[in-house]
Amino acid sequence: MKTKKLIYILLLPLFIYSCKPEVNDFKPSNGNADFTSFVAVGNSLTAGYASGALYTSGQKAGFANILAKQMVFAGGNGTFKIPLMPTEDGVGVAESGNPPTLRTKLVMGYSTDCLGQTSLGPVPAVADPDQQELAAELMTSVAGDGPFNNIAVPGIKVGHLFAPGLGTLNPFYGRFAENPQTDVLISEAAKVNPTFFLLWIGNNDVLDYAASGGVAPITPVDGDVGFGFRASYTAAVQTLMQEAPEGVVANIPSVTSAPYFTTVPYNPVVLTDPDAVSQLNSAYALYNQMMEANGLPYRINWTLGQNPMVIFDKDMPLPDAYAQFKFRQIKADELVLLSIPQDSIKCAQWGTAKPVPDMYVLTEKEIQKVNNATHQFNKIIKENVDANNLAFLNVNSLMKQISEQGIMADGVEFTSTLVTGNLFSLDGIHLSAQGNALVANYFIRAINSKYNSAIPQVNITDYPPILLP
Amino acid sequence: MKKFITFLTLVFMSSTIFAGGYQVRLQGNKQTGIGLIGTPMIYGSSSTFYNPGSLPFMKKKWDFDVGASFIFSNVAFQKAKSNYQAKSENKTGTPFYAYGAFKISHLITVGLGVYTPYGSSETWNDQWAGKLLIQNISLQAIYIQPTIAFNISDKVGIGAGFVYAMGNVKMQRALNYSGDSYVNLDGKTTSIGYNVGIFWKPIEKLRLGLDYRSAIKMSVVDGDATFKIPQSLQGTIPENNKFDAELPLPANLDFGLAVYATDKLLLSFELDYVWWSVYDTLTFTFKDQGDLLNSNNPRLYKNTLIPRFGIEYDINKTILVKGGFYYDSSPTNENYFSPETVSLNTVAYTLGLSIMPVDGLSIDVSWLQLFGRKAEKNYSPDKFQGTYQSAAVIPGIGISYSF
Repeated sequence: MKTKKLIYILLLPLFIYSCKPEVNDFKPSNGNADFTSFVAVGNSLTAGYASGALYTSGQKAGFANILAKQMVFAGGNGTFKIPLMPTEDGVGVAESGNPPTLRTKLVMGYSTDCLGQTSLGPVPAVADPDQQELAAELMTSVAGDGPFNNIAVPGIKVGHLFAPGLGTLNPFYGRFAENPQTDVLISEAAKVNPTFFLLWIGNNDVLDYAASGGVAPITPVDGDVGFGFRASYTAAVQTLMQEAPEGVVANIPSVTSAPYFTTVPYNPVVLTDPDAVSQLNSAYALYNQMMEANGLPYRINWTLGQNPMVIFDKDMPLPDAYAQFKFRQIKADELVLLSIPQDSIKCAQWGTAKPVPDMYVLTEKEIQKVNNATHQFNKIIKENVDANNLAFLNVNSLMKQISEQGIMADGVEFTSTLVTGNLFSLDGIHLSAQGNALVANYFIRAINSKYNSAIPQVNITDYPPILLP
Repeated sequence: MKKFITFLTLVFMSSTIFAGGYQVRLQGNKQTGIGLIGTPMIYGSSSTFYNPGSLPFMKKKWDFDVGASFIFSNVAFQKAKSNYQAKSENKTGTPFYAYGAFKISHLITVGLGVYTPYGSSETWNDQWAGKLLIQNISLQAIYIQPTIAFNISDKVGIGAGFVYAMGNVKMQRALNYSGDSYVNLDGKTTSIGYNVGIFWKPIEKLRLGLDYRSAIKMSVVDGDATFKIPQSLQGTIPENNKFDAELPLPANLDFGLAVYATDKLLLSFELDYVWWSVYDTLTFTFKDQGDLLNSNNPRLYKNTLIPRFGIEYDINKTILVKGGFYYDSSPTNENYFSPETVSLNTVAYTLGLSIMPVDGLSIDVSWLQLFGRKAEKNYSPDKFQGTYQSAAVIPGIGISYSF
């Protein structure tokens, strides 16, 4: 009898042991939204453009695709067609060059500068690509694979959503438009019978100006649909609302916090030779005399060590007779673009004997214009969000937080530094794979909080870091 | 002797994970069965660890005790705001002990103990969501404790032991570079400490014990750091480096009380206070490229108090059955909770059986089961948040002989 009891007591633990630990508390749900069919509308960011090109794995790692995959847990139909590029090297448009040149994506690699020094940095995956081959890749139509859920098109401004024949001007649309000569991009959305939309557009309306050093125009606030920002943006939201009653909208980040604008310092010119200093000072003596004679505050002085570069500034208040003197030393809060040819600084006296061309610099005045436009456009975006009761992601404040303090997620530190900051891809403007995952999680947060849904977030570390040789 | 060495080698893989930070209190199967209570007990040479003050009360002149436990533990994890789940695949931990004690005279008893009071092993999948925090870790400490105890009177014993500690830690975490980069740290160290106890038997039916085991600072100097990183970084971060780190093993103060309710039934109660707050920051200092690689990882542990209850019933002169229960609250800080040591508030029960087939010989079997209570934790410096739950089952066996 006693032995029997003892056996029971001894067996009890085995029974209890069968309860192994298990944590499964997350219940995905669609809440008040319907994620059955998801459409994403936007520019290069939403298209999955990265490291200077549109390419297969970049498109797949785009936040829109990540979001679509996570929506499947909350009722998504699992179909999210992307007009995929045929190659992994892809096709992109170089930031500078007239006429524009095509290139492959950028990768981390070694390059040798004019001084014979080899260093690690972003270089094209294919050094001198065959322009015709890339053009053919870009022009080959994939319209037959549609309709597409990701209808974002690199390079577009908000007005382009309504431009008939955009496909003939912008090959990134032309390659998936059924009739490139006549089709209107916004009409692509209806083709997938969307129940939920994402709209992130407006960046290029300021970025084009900023990325051209203040040469290309900023979209005006007023004007008809297709021209003015307000009318075009409002029409875009309304058109999408007719197709899908729910959606998420993101605003425009401060473009000047991207590494494209913050990587090259204002004072990269290092003078170590006293003779060179006095030579430069005597070369600019005439300039300084002329400015003093005209009662203007501009002076150019050189010292040993780091010196601010000399730049062209078309906005300088000089009489027309002195137009050729519209150059000055750059201020510490002005920005030099990543597109500036580094060899020209190192070996062709750019910034010292030769002023840096306007297209590589954002002056204080230009930065102010960019900030004002971003602020105005974001106000219009927020008004549309509120009027239509949509989910909203404030990318502007998110990017601000990242550039000021950085953000940690799953042990990955995101800052707005090129390469080591993890957030941006190698072009300094578009997101990296991990940056896309982070942004996807912020979109998920915005959607879940608006619609009381529970779309699960993704692990940042499931996405690759920037590849190093 | 040879056999004993083989046994030691086998169990050298001693390691475990469970509540109470990285402390493993499996230093005697007689005690494990009764809720891990040992301070107020006369359990022969195994008191070398639990309370050397009770050594003079062992019944015979010589006493030897060896044993081990087998820890089967699992941790389940779910990331915050995600349906992602992970389970750690922990190796079976085998803490062990070996004691010998000799009563030189009525007054003086000496003892020697070899045991493993601290250890932790956690193996996550190399690609899991927290890989940048930890992929796997194993930590162990082996203590050797020569001890001397005195019989102050028939009722009071005191004992003191010198502790020589040998520790070793291995850990690996991923680095956010391409090509499955990681850093592997491997370090060994030795240190010293002490263990003092007092035992009081005011009347035959009542026993009280108080024991203090000092904190021991395990300082790894010149441990091996191996970085597997892309070639382009090897100019900046050396592949093979040396590191220093310090891991404190906390002090313990145990107070226990045992009372014979009847001739056959022993009831016991113990309170253990653990100074976990010594584990404030885990610091790694590297020999080369320190500015780049050195790291301070806050842990901010807090002191804990563990209450234990146990009973022992003497079925007949040859069979003792035991049971116990305790609650071990987690010393971790919920905002600095790293998946390297998943220490949760833990409820535990124990069962024990001692069989004494012949005079002086005891075979002690124990069963310990731990339930780490589900809780959401965050490692805020890395923003790694999720819900953890743990469980462990630990069978143990020991054999003692006295003559």
